Amino acid sequence: MTNSLLNETQAKQEAPCSASCFASHSGVSLKPVYYQTILEHRPAIGFFEIHAENYLSQGGPAAYFLRQIRQEYDMTIHGVGLSIGGENPLDIEHLNKVAQLVEEIQPAYFSEHLAWSTHDHHFYNDLLPIRYNKDSLDRVCQHIDQVQTRMKRPILMENPSTYLAFADNDFSETDFIREMVKRTGCDLLLDINNVEVSCFNQGRQAIEYLEGFPLEAVKQIHLAGHTLDDNPIVPLKIDSHDDAVSQDVWSLYQYTLQRLGDCPTLIERDGNLPELVELIAEAEFADRIRRAVKQGGSVDA
Amino acid sequence: MHNDFIQALLSQDQSHLHPKLEGDTVENAVRFQVYQNNLVVSLQDALADIFPITQKLVGETFFRAMAREFLLQHPPTSPIISEYGANFSDFIRHFEPAQSVGFLPDVASLEYQLLQLTHAAEVETLDHQSISTTFEKTQDPSQLVLELTPNCQLLHAPFAVGSLILANQRDVSSNHININESEYILLHKSFLYARLSVISFDQACFIKALQEGVTLANAVPESEGFDLGGSLAKLIEWKLIRNIALQPD
Repeated sequence: MTNSLLNETQAKQEAPCSASCFASHSGVSLKPVYYQTILEHRPAIGFFEIHAENYLSQGGPAAYFLRQIRQEYDMTIHGVGLSIGGENPLDIEHLNKVAQLVEEIQPAYFSEHLAWSTHDHHFYNDLLPIRYNKDSLDRVCQHIDQVQTRMKRPILMENPSTYLAFADNDFSETDFIREMVKRTGCDLLLDINNVEVSCFNQGRQAIEYLEGFPLEAVKQIHLAGHTLDDNPIVPLKIDSHDDAVSQDVWSLYQYTLQRLGDCPTLIERDGNLPELVELIAEAEFADRIRRAVKQGGSVDA
Repeated sequence: MHNDFIQALLSQDQSHLHPKLEGDTVENAVRFQVYQNNLVVSLQDALADIFPITQKLVGETFFRAMAREFLLQHPPTSPIISEYGANFSDFIRHFEPAQSVGFLPDVASLEYQLLQLTHAAEVETLDHQSISTTFEKTQDPSQLVLELTPNCQLLHAPFAVGSLILANQRDVSSNHININESEYILLHKSFLYARLSVISFDQACFIKALQEGVTLANAVPESEGFDLGGSLAKLIEWKLIRNIALQPD
């Protein structure tokens, strides 16, 4: 079934992707279960995004298939382990490994998170929240400078999904991000699912958040699915990346494009992986919205 | 501040963190649980991916409980999660509830070594044809030195864990395996993936001698039953020979 659907998908877009695919067509997350399908069927897709930390080995299937697939497709690299919001200095050995991967693969963009994951030599495998005060802004900016200097390119920083907030913040999240962009010259990855998740969890309006967001620096968009933890004390949306993009996120996406203009977009999926064709269908839906917005119209999302 | 956050993540003690958060303490405890859950579940999943047969042998419930204890005591030290769990085998060895499964630490250790070998850089080795040609052209092949690939590791396990892992990988019954028998095991790489082979004592002696760089004549074990042709055929099949040269005078 997968194969026939993939062939249908290909038939719809007979022209093979050109070098400009990242800019013009939406992409999906690259996962090991998709390697064979991608190489056998070469589906029409804008680009693939990898997590840097899954591709740092010297050999094995990840190293091999990454390079095979890179020959055919545009790519973006998404870091999940630099801990840019951390209180400790960056792990130079790890930064060097990621920078070498970026140098070899030459992705359209390298992105990281406004969050932390490492503390005192331990890695906590999650994107933990930061306090939005002056000290933390200084540290984040210094770390971004260090990464951009090492990689010799501006990086994209992604807005976080959060479940709690610190007291005594000096900035709102969007003001913090605006200041970070001004000081470091970095660009932004706007994760619209994170906007929906964080705003729901913090009792704020997603539209207001987007109004305050420095959209002029956004170079890439992430769309993903979330789940609802409907507990009786405080219902929370969880940034689970294990489901299709939700209706509310599609609506926010269209709203964002109407203000921002066209923007390269990724369908991000990390768990409960469907057949590749389902992710491609979501990427095609994003492309429909992009085309409609470019023509001044809209899609009933 | 991050110290307080980590302390709250790893223990149930959130007393230092709560005063630093905005909002209601009861609500914040639920909110904080999302981070605790992310940490525990994502690392349990990672350990299950790295140690699938260890999990299969003890069952998912037991494995996840053991993994939870491990990850809270030994969080990863690197963001490269496929390298996580180097000391999981040692942890299992001292984990009281796993004491009845004496061979479990050796299964975990072998699984970890297999995964690390899978991620090691591939090394080019000689094909059958070029090995045959060298043997045919050499007047006295017993004086050849066979250089083996660094991607082969020789192990002596106190239990039949190699056979057990092979049976589980092939999804066949392991009832015939006497787990208390020790085994010689060779880890090697087939294209991109590490494989294991259970080998005889003689084959292990032969491979160990070759790894030490002695000539073929000196590598052959003294045992009468040793099958040199068959053992060489295995070295070729497993693509272990990186180079062949006459020992320099």
